Amino acid sequence: MEYIGEHLGIGKIGNLFVILSFVFAMLASLSYFFAAKDKDDSASWKRIARIAFRIHGLAVIGIVSTLFIMLSNHYFEYEYVWHHSNREMPMRYILSCFWEGQEGSFLLWTFWHVVLGLILQRSAKHWEAPVMATVSLVQVFLASMLLGITIFDYHIGSNPFTVLLREHPDYSAIPLFSDPHYASNPNFDGRGLNPLLQNYWMTIHPPTLFLGFALTVVPFAYAIAGLWKKQFNEWLKPALPWTYAGVTVLGVGILMGGAWAYEALSFGGFWAWDPVENASLVPWLTLVGAAHLMLINRNKGQSLFTAFFLAILSFILILYSTYLTRSGILGETSVHSFPTAGLSGQLLMYLFCFLILGITLLVINWKHFPKTIEEEGIWSREFWMFVGAIVLLVSSFQIMFYTSMPVWNKLFDMHRAPQKDIIDFYNKWQLPFAFVVTLLIAVGQFFKYKNTDIKAFLKKISVSFIIAIILSVLLEYAVNFNDRYYSVLLFSSIFAAVANLDYMFRVLKGNVKKAGASIAHIGFALVLLGALVSTSKKDIISQNTSGKSIESLGEKFSNNDNILLTQGDTLQMGKYLVTYVGRRQEGINIYFDVDYFTENEAGKLNKEFSLAPLLQLNPRMGNVAEPDTRHFLTFDVYTHITYAELLNTKENKESKDEYAIAKDFTLKKGDTIFSSNAIIVFDSLSTYFDKAAYKIDPADIAVKAHFSVLDVKEKYQAAPVYVIHNNAIQSIPASVDPLGLKFNFWQINPEDGKIQISLQEKKSNVRDYIVMQAMIFPYINILWIGCIVMAIGTIIAIWERVKRGS
Amino acid sequence: MKKIHILGIIIIAVAIGAIFTTLNSTSTYASFTEAANDPGSEFHVVGKLNKEKEAVYNPKLDANVFTFYMLDNKGKECKVVLHKNKPQDFERSEQIVLIGKMQGEEFQASDILMKCPSKYNEGSPQETAQK
Repeated sequence: MEYIGEHLGIGKIGNLFVILSFVFAMLASLSYFFAAKDKDDSASWKRIARIAFRIHGLAVIGIVSTLFIMLSNHYFEYEYVWHHSNREMPMRYILSCFWEGQEGSFLLWTFWHVVLGLILQRSAKHWEAPVMATVSLVQVFLASMLLGITIFDYHIGSNPFTVLLREHPDYSAIPLFSDPHYASNPNFDGRGLNPLLQNYWMTIHPPTLFLGFALTVVPFAYAIAGLWKKQFNEWLKPALPWTYAGVTVLGVGILMGGAWAYEALSFGGFWAWDPVENASLVPWLTLVGAAHLMLINRNKGQSLFTAFFLAILSFILILYSTYLTRSGILGETSVHSFPTAGLSGQLLMYLFCFLILGITLLVINWKHFPKTIEEEGIWSREFWMFVGAIVLLVSSFQIMFYTSMPVWNKLFDMHRAPQKDIIDFYNKWQLPFAFVVTLLIAVGQFFKYKNTDIKAFLKKISVSFIIAIILSVLLEYAVNFNDRYYSVLLFSSIFAAVANLDYMFRVLKGNVKKAGASIAHIGFALVLLGALVSTSKKDIISQNTSGKSIESLGEKFSNNDNILLTQGDTLQMGKYLVTYVGRRQEGINIYFDVDYFTENEAGKLNKEFSLAPLLQLNPRMGNVAEPDTRHFLTFDVYTHITYAELLNTKENKESKDEYAIAKDFTLKKGDTIFSSNAIIVFDSLSTYFDKAAYKIDPADIAVKAHFSVLDVKEKYQAAPVYVIHNNAIQSIPASVDPLGLKFNFWQINPEDGKIQISLQEKKSNVRDYIVMQAMIFPYINILWIGCIVMAIGTIIAIWERVKRGS
Repeated sequence: MKKIHILGIIIIAVAIGAIFTTLNSTSTYASFTEAANDPGSEFHVVGKLNKEKEAVYNPKLDANVFTFYMLDNKGKECKVVLHKNKPQDFERSEQIVLIGKMQGEEFQASDILMKCPSKYNEGSPQETAQK
């Protein structure tokens, strides 16, 4: 069939850019390789390589622009555009479409490498060729992820420009494509961006994180170049600022992810030790280790092998993370994992290629590494920095090994399930590492390189030590901190912050330019402190005290965290009185308005604030609950809906006057039953009454049941009648209109005098309700402030290093 | 012995500890029968909701209890008492993972993971064109 109105030209252009980017990355890589290898022709190879890399860069920008044009013009004939966007989507989220899909996120990553590559071309000087050879090789692999070609039945890459929706195996047979003009059908719309990603954090978190990922390639490429060119120490100086930059950007990117989870996901926190979170945290930890070891080497020329090892490992771990999250191996264990695009084999090849390259070079050069003749003194700064880096390595090993459980299950055909309380498991494991690291951060700078006068050291550090003890006791008292296990970390992180502040003012005399490291360390200590206090003192105020006792099952089962709140009712939660006001629908979001009050001494209620947690009727992910949080300086009040009846929303308005399904009751005289708005007592039966008033044949048997119906204000009477007419049972209903109740009388049991009735209530009687959770996160702002401080500190350190370098 | 060796030994000890706890994770995936044979221990049970039988959630009575019947992957049915709220979209779930232990005839679950069908996740171009 001839299709009319499709935009196939732009796809061809996009595809051309894809091929160009791949071919020129290859050319750049090869010519940089020869430029680095060949002394004679170096200059001309380098010239070719530079041009090739720039063309590669232009092609990548071409891919991004073409895809952008396709997305903003709604060319849904392309599977990628259909899959990730729709007409209703606000323009500001178009960029988010790039990182929703696999292809787009590889594109983002490639784009950052281009940017870094272009900077390296200008700044790397004689390192340019060997470093850029590796960077370009990485680009070859990334560009191949977009190729979308098949060689000998093996698919290479997934290309957003060549996969047409009507050719997609899942959809090719559908009737839509029997219309040759389908592309011009104004109703033809995309599937749309996952609403979870339509959040401002989601427009900044992925690019930041991917820049962090991209930055790890630079120390890696320098380390490879150093090994290759046997310049074991010279690579450190130019690579160090890049490593710091990676630490900054990746760290901020990870915490932005935490902020998004805290604001938009409803697991009740900012860190869940989710496999994808771990997969980006672990390379950060090793990169931090690498940065410190590189620094030791710059200053003392020690622990060289470990510095190489960690710089290479950080990038390898980024590749491994990519494999974990993109290959589909995590399955359902993670909220983040991408659907598989069949790139698993290619990702493994990418990983193993660079892993083998790194290991081979390390092994070949093993004998060339300078052997340490004299051991580092135990009172030297370099020794403790080395210990710190090793602790980080072991800590990341524990996280990675456990996160890789699905991989071990697959490799060894096991069926291990993750721990029930995964957060608690990781917290317990990581606490000793965090404790040692914060202690080292506290004392580290007070040690001198080579050897330290221990008396002077103790004298200097004692001030911070005492202040930290006082502060941590005060803080523990303020937040009623009673966990012994975690209080050691509380102390050590305060100690780290105080000692670095002290170092900054007493030793560096407040010279901010030199204090980058101190400031960054203060920030890191604050991040840990904020995380510790806000998590371990998280207070779930929506405790339901009326629940049944299930203590026999153990602590894990005593879950009373959810509370039912009926519209108009007020319940005490912590220091607040909370009212559910009602619901409103805006688009696909249903907001539930919840008011928070406090009671003053006179017993008067003051409205403090309103929150509107929502349920998103997300056609793709199912219904998603999104919390709402009120931020105060010292604490946050977090609220989210765990359950709400959704059918009511539409029905309620149309059918308020209808009666709901009847409920049956068997009663004897004096029994009481409850409707949603009244108490009903069965008073008596009578057989002598004016049958004519009910139009009953005098010959029929008729019994009348008398009910007292009491609501808060008044007492009503209801008397339904039971009639046997020509051997058939009939009921003459009685209703209490002000309360919307209707009674029917169906049966009498002559033996025990019990009667059977049915009771119906008008639908408007049933009040709306929600099941919600409310919790308080104390001092969570310390965490966010720490993040900013850490970023500022590392930026100062980079700035100083770059300035000194040039 | 050098300091570095002591450090190395500590590292190896901790790493072995990490491997050991990973591989000795207290939970394993199991069926209801296996869970019933070992009533004290915690298991992950994978299965499907039995849609024929009633799933009861009465938040007015207790918002933290939800009962339903599940068929495990071997087809054995068991009553499940989940000590949590009823998850949103529960009826649409395709696969359920329960975490908990057997007590008498009932499986007491402290947590639940659900997988929704992929059709429902995906949508189709036909639907969007006919909106």
